[in-house]
Amino acid sequence: MFNLFLFEYALSSLKRRGAKNIFIFVIFFILIFLLSSIFFISNSMKYELSQTVDALPDITIQKLEAGREQNIDIDRVDKLSEIPGVSEVSPRVWGYYYFKNAGANFVVVGVDRFSPNYKKSIQKVVDKFDSVIFDNNDTMIVGKGVKDILEKNYYDKYFNFIKPNGDLKKIKIAGTFKGSTVLESNDIILLSNENAREIFGMKDDEVTDITLRVPNPKEVSKIASKITIMYPDCRVITKNDLEISYNNIFDYKSGIFLSLFIVALFTFFIIIYDKSSGLSSDEKREIGVQKAVGWRIGDILLQKFYEAGILSGMAFVLSITFSIFYVYILNAPILRSVFTGYSILKPAFKLPFVVDLQTIMLIFFATVPLYIAATIVPSWFAATLDADEVIR
Amino acid sequence: MIKVTKVNKVFNQGKINETVALKDISFEVKDGELAILKGPSGSGKSTILSIIAALLKPTSGDVEVDGKKIAKLPDNFASLYRRENIGFIFQKFNLIPTLSVFENVILPLIPSNLSKQEIEQKAKQSMEKFSIYHKKDDLAKNLSGGEQQRVAIARALVNNPKIILADEPTANLDAKLSSSFLEFVKELHSEKKTILIATHDPIFFGLDFVSSEIEIIKGVMK
Repeated sequence: MFNLFLFEYALSSLKRRGAKNIFIFVIFFILIFLLSSIFFISNSMKYELSQTVDALPDITIQKLEAGREQNIDIDRVDKLSEIPGVSEVSPRVWGYYYFKNAGANFVVVGVDRFSPNYKKSIQKVVDKFDSVIFDNNDTMIVGKGVKDILEKNYYDKYFNFIKPNGDLKKIKIAGTFKGSTVLESNDIILLSNENAREIFGMKDDEVTDITLRVPNPKEVSKIASKITIMYPDCRVITKNDLEISYNNIFDYKSGIFLSLFIVALFTFFIIIYDKSSGLSSDEKREIGVQKAVGWRIGDILLQKFYEAGILSGMAFVLSITFSIFYVYILNAPILRSVFTGYSILKPAFKLPFVVDLQTIMLIFFATVPLYIAATIVPSWFAATLDADEVIR
Repeated sequence: MIKVTKVNKVFNQGKINETVALKDISFEVKDGELAILKGPSGSGKSTILSIIAALLKPTSGDVEVDGKKIAKLPDNFASLYRRENIGFIFQKFNLIPTLSVFENVILPLIPSNLSKQEIEQKAKQSMEKFSIYHKKDDLAKNLSGGEQQRVAIARALVNNPKIILADEPTANLDAKLSSSFLEFVKELHSEKKTILIATHDPIFFGLDFVSSEIEIIKGVMK
C-alpha cells in the first residue's frame, strides 16, 4: 500500500538538502538532454537519409587513377547496357563549382534531358517550376540554399558560371527543389549534361560516373562483381555500400559529439561515486534516528528510493521533453550544425519527427537506475548497522 | 515487565581495543514501575538501555520484555518491537535538526501506514501534552534545549508505548527544566507506564514514587 507520509518525507528530505539536490538535478538534466538530443537528431537524419537512399541508383561506377576519381569514356555505357539484369544505364556529369562571392561550393549535377521520365520526375520534387524556361536549353533547377545565395548576389533569374577558360556561361533558373528534399538538395544545381560539361571544361565523350538500375535486388552483387572484372580500373559502389557509408558518416558525427558529452558524463559519475562512496555524517545519523524510532530497513530504503526516483525521474522526463521541443520544434539550433555536413550552405530543413521508444529506454536504463542504485546502496549499508552505533 | 538476565556486553571483542561494558547484569522492572539506573558516566547505563530497546545486541545473556526474548531479534523485528513498545528519550535528544517540530514528532508514525488524520491527531495530542504545539512549524535546530527535550518526549510518546526509556534526560538541562522534566515523569508514572531512567543526576534519587534504584559502576551491578 502506498504510504503518502513516507512519500512526503522523501520530498521534504530532498528539499532539506536543496542545494546539493539542485546541483545533481541540473547535471542529470544536462546529461540526458544532450544524450537524447544527439540521438534524436541522429535518428531523424538517418531516417531522412534512408528515404534518400531508396532513390539512389542500384550501382554507381567510378573510374580511379592513382586512387583518384577520373572521368570515364562514355562508350562504356553501351557495354554496361548489355549485361543481363541491367535495366537502365545513365552516364552522369557532375562536380563542384566554387562561387567566390559567397565562399560556397555548389554541387553541379548534369542529367540527360532526353531521358524518358526526367521531366515527370523533376516536376515531383521542384517548386516554382517553369516548364517554358525548362524546355529551352541552358536552364537549371537549384536547391534552396543555392537559390538564397544567388538572390543575395542579385542572380534571381539566372546565373553566370565562369568556365575554366574564363568565359561566362549564362544559365536560367527553371525551378527550386522542394523544402522536404532540402537535406539532400540544398547545395545542388541540376542542369543538362551538355551545360555541366561546358562549365567543367569536360570533353563530350567523357562522364564523371555511370549509374545502373537493377530491378532484382538479389542480382546487384553479382552484376557488381561482373563489372569489377570487366573494368578493373573502376570502383563499383552498390546502393547498400552507400547506405552503410551514409550511416557511418552520421555515426561518426554522433561519435564526435558523444566525445564532448563525456565531460557531462564524467561529472555525472563523480556524483555517482560521491553518492555510492558513502553518506554524510548527518545522513547516517538520520538513518540511525529513523531506526531508533522504529523504521525498518525496508522503510528507509523505500524513502531513499522515492528520493532518488523523484529526482532522477523528474530530471529524465523534463530533459526528454525539452529535448523533443529543442530538436523538433526549435529544429536543434547549434547542435544540428555538427551533423549537417561541410557545406557553407547550411540546409534549413525540418528534422522529421522520429522518436523511438528503444532510444528513450536506452537513455533511461543508462542513467536513472544507476543513480537510484548509487543512492540506495550506501543507505542500505548504514541501515544494516546497529542503530546505536550510528547514533553515537 | 522488563527482565534482564546475566547480560554481558563486550565491544570490539577479540581486538586490541576490546572493552567490557557490562558484566553479568540482571534486574527486573515490573509493569507500571519507575526504575532508576544510576552510576557515573561511562558505567554502562546507556548500553543497558540500548540493549533493552533492541538497538544493540548483548554479547551474552537474555532480555525479556512482556515474556518475549528480544536480545537476538533480527533487525526488522527489532524495529517493529521498538515501534510498538518503546519510547526512547535520548541524552542528546537525537532530533533531526532540519525537520520541523511536527515532522520530528510524527517520525515514528510514518512507516505505520496510519491515515493522515490519525497521524495528525496523535501528533497534536502529544505536542499539546508537552506544551510544544505552538512551535509545531519551527525547525528543531531553532529551539531551546528545554523545547528540544519536550519535542523528544513528544516523539517518544506519540505511539503511546508501554515502556519509556530515558537516557540522561536532564544532562543538557538547567535546574528549572530538570524539575519540569521530573513533573513529566510523575505524570507518565501516574499513567502506569513502565519507566527506566538512566541518570547520574541526584534529582532522581530517593524519590518516593521510584520503585527501584539500580546502581552500576564500571559495568558491574553494585
